[in-house]
Amino acid sequence: MTHSSPDRQARIDVLRRGRSRSRFVEGSALLMLGLTVWAWLSAGKLTGRLPFARRWQNFLNFLGDLTPSPVRKSGDWSESIPWAWDLFTDKGFTALAITIGIACAAIILSTIFVLPFLPLASRQLGRRDPFGIFSGKKTNQQGQKLARPRSEDGRNLQSQDVPVTNIEGKFDEPTLLDRKSPSSFDFRGLILGPATRFLFVLARAIPEYILAFLLISLLGLQFWPLVLALAIHNFGILGRLFGEVVENADTRAAEQAFANGFGRKKVFGLVIFPAVFNRFLIYFFYRWETCVKDATVLGMLGVLTLGHLMMMTKGFFWDRMLFYVLLGSSVIMVGDLLSTWIRQRLRR
Amino acid sequence: MRDSKKIAVKPPIFPGRRRWVFLGAAIIFLVCAYFLKLTPSGLIPPDSLRWDRAGKFFSAAISPAMDYQDDSVPDTADHIWVKGVKGLFYTLRFAVAAMSMAVPTALILGFFGSSAWWPEPCGRGLKFVLRTVFVVSRFVMSFARSIHELIWALLILSALGVSPLAGMVSLAIPFAGTLGKVFSEIIDEEARDSASALKAIGHRPVQTFLVGIFPRAIPDLITYSFYRFECALRASAVLGFVGIETIGLYIQLSHEEFYYHEVWTYFYLLLAMIVVVDLWGAGLRRRLNPTHA
Repeated sequence: MTHSSPDRQARIDVLRRGRSRSRFVEGSALLMLGLTVWAWLSAGKLTGRLPFARRWQNFLNFLGDLTPSPVRKSGDWSESIPWAWDLFTDKGFTALAITIGIACAAIILSTIFVLPFLPLASRQLGRRDPFGIFSGKKTNQQGQKLARPRSEDGRNLQSQDVPVTNIEGKFDEPTLLDRKSPSSFDFRGLILGPATRFLFVLARAIPEYILAFLLISLLGLQFWPLVLALAIHNFGILGRLFGEVVENADTRAAEQAFANGFGRKKVFGLVIFPAVFNRFLIYFFYRWETCVKDATVLGMLGVLTLGHLMMMTKGFFWDRMLFYVLLGSSVIMVGDLLSTWIRQRLRR
Repeated sequence: MRDSKKIAVKPPIFPGRRRWVFLGAAIIFLVCAYFLKLTPSGLIPPDSLRWDRAGKFFSAAISPAMDYQDDSVPDTADHIWVKGVKGLFYTLRFAVAAMSMAVPTALILGFFGSSAWWPEPCGRGLKFVLRTVFVVSRFVMSFARSIHELIWALLILSALGVSPLAGMVSLAIPFAGTLGKVFSEIIDEEARDSASALKAIGHRPVQTFLVGIFPRAIPDLITYSFYRFECALRASAVLGFVGIETIGLYIQLSHEEFYYHEVWTYFYLLLAMIVVVDLWGAGLRRRLNPTHA
C-alpha cells in the first residue's frame, strides 16, 4: 500500500468495526458451505455403474426414440405435423383443459380459505392491543376499570396521537389502555397468532405430490385429491406471502379505524384488504402459474392430466411423451407470460 | 425499501371494480368444479374398503412406528428412526448438491437476462447483440423452469441411466431457471442511484454493475436462494417417487405395503426437517432484509 497513511487506516478500521454483521447470518453461511462440501464428498460414485461408452450408446438410442415415429420411417419432418395434431385432438386437449381446471380450482379454493386466517396471523392485528390500542376487555381480571391509555413514551395516546371520535356512540369509557397493563394474558398475540402461523408452516411443509399420493389412496381416483393437495400446500404458501404483504402495509388508516371502534375483522376487511388488494392479486397469479406446473405432474399418480399421458407413453412411445412434455411446457410458458403481464400491470 | 410512514396512495386495480374480480373468480371456480365433477360427496371415501383404510391411516397418525411393521426385516438392520434420519440426510444432500449447481448457473443466466449492466449510450450493433443475448437467456430460463423437476428426472434418468448425478442435474435445471429469472428481476429492480454516481465519475458499465448494483442486491439474492433451497428439499423428497433414494422412496414403499405407522414416522421426520429449515429461513430473512421481511 503506497498511499496508506495511519489516519486513513484508522478510518478504514472504524468503518470495518462499524459494519453491520450478524452471527446468525455468518453461521448460516458457514453451515451452508459445510453442507455443500459434505454433499459432494459423501455422495459416493456419482455416475452410476454403466461404463461411459455404453451410456453414450443408450443416450443416442434415446435421442432416436424421441423423433416422431412417422419421421423415423420416412425421414420427412412435414409428416410430424398431422401426427402431432392427432395426438393433440385425441387426448392432449382434454388433459390440458383438466390440468388448467385443477390449477384454477385449487388456487381459488386456497385463497378462499386463507383470507379468514390472515387477521389472526398478522403480527399487528392478531394481538390483544393492535397498534398499541387495546381492544376487547375494558376491565382487568379484578374487575377494576383500567387507566387512561398511554403510549410507550408516556404521552397520552388519546389526545395527541389518535383522535377518537367515538363513532356510533359505542364507547363511553376510554377504549385505549396502557399497553403494559399487567393483568390480562395476551392470548391472541402469544397463542393464537403463532399457532396460525405454524399452521401455515405445516401446510406448506408437506410436498403436494406426497399429499396427493396419500389422498388418492383414501378418496380414489378422481380430481378432488389433486385439487385438495394443491389447495392445502398453497394455503400455507399464500398464508405466508399474504401475511408478509399485510405486515408491510401502511398501518395508519388501520390505526385510525381501530381507534374509532372498528373490530379486527372490520379493520382487515374494510381497511387493510382493499389497500393491499393488488399485491394479493400479484401473489395469486404467481401461485396460479406454479399450480399449473404442479397439476401437470400430479397426473403421474394416475389421474388424467398431461402428466398421466406422459407416464402412459414413457418407455414405449418416447416420441409421444416428448410431444406431451413440450405441450405442457408451452402452456406453462404462455401462462408464465400471462401472469407476468398481469403482475406488471398490477405493480404500476 | 418502503417507508411505512410515507403515504402511498395507489388507485386500486380496475378502480371500483373489485367486485368483478370476485365474481369472475367465483364463476371460474364453479365452471371448474362442474367440469371436474367436484361434488361434496367426492370428499368422502367412496367404499367401505377405503373408509377402513382412511380410518387406519389417520389413527396411525398418533402412533408412528417405533419399530418396523414388516417382520421380515432382520434384527441387524438400522432402527427405523435411524433409517428415517439417514433418509433425511440423503434428501438434504440431494437438495444441497442440486442448489450448488443451480445457484452459479442462475447467476450467469440472470446476469445475461437483466439489462442493468448495459452501457447507456450504445451503438445499434451492440444493442442488437445485447438484446439477442437477453432474449436467448430469458428463453432458456423460461424453458428450463416450464418442465417440472420430476419430468426432467424421467427424461434424464432414461437418457443417462439411474445415477445420483443425473438426479441432481434434473433437480438443478428447473431450479436454475426459476432462480435466474428472479435474480434478473431483483437486479433490474435494484435502485440505480449509486450506479449512476459511479457512471458519472467514469466507471465502465460492467464495473458500475459489479460495484454499484450487484452488492446491493445480495441480501435479496441470498434470501430468495434460501427460499428455493426449502423448495429443493421438498422436491428432493418427491424425487424419491421416481426411485432416487430419498425419504420419499421410504414413504412410497411403506405405503405400498400398507405400513401406515411407518409412513407417519417418515412423514413426521420430513415435516420436522422442513419446518426447521423454514424457521431458519425466516430468521435469515428477518436479519438480511428487515424492511420487507
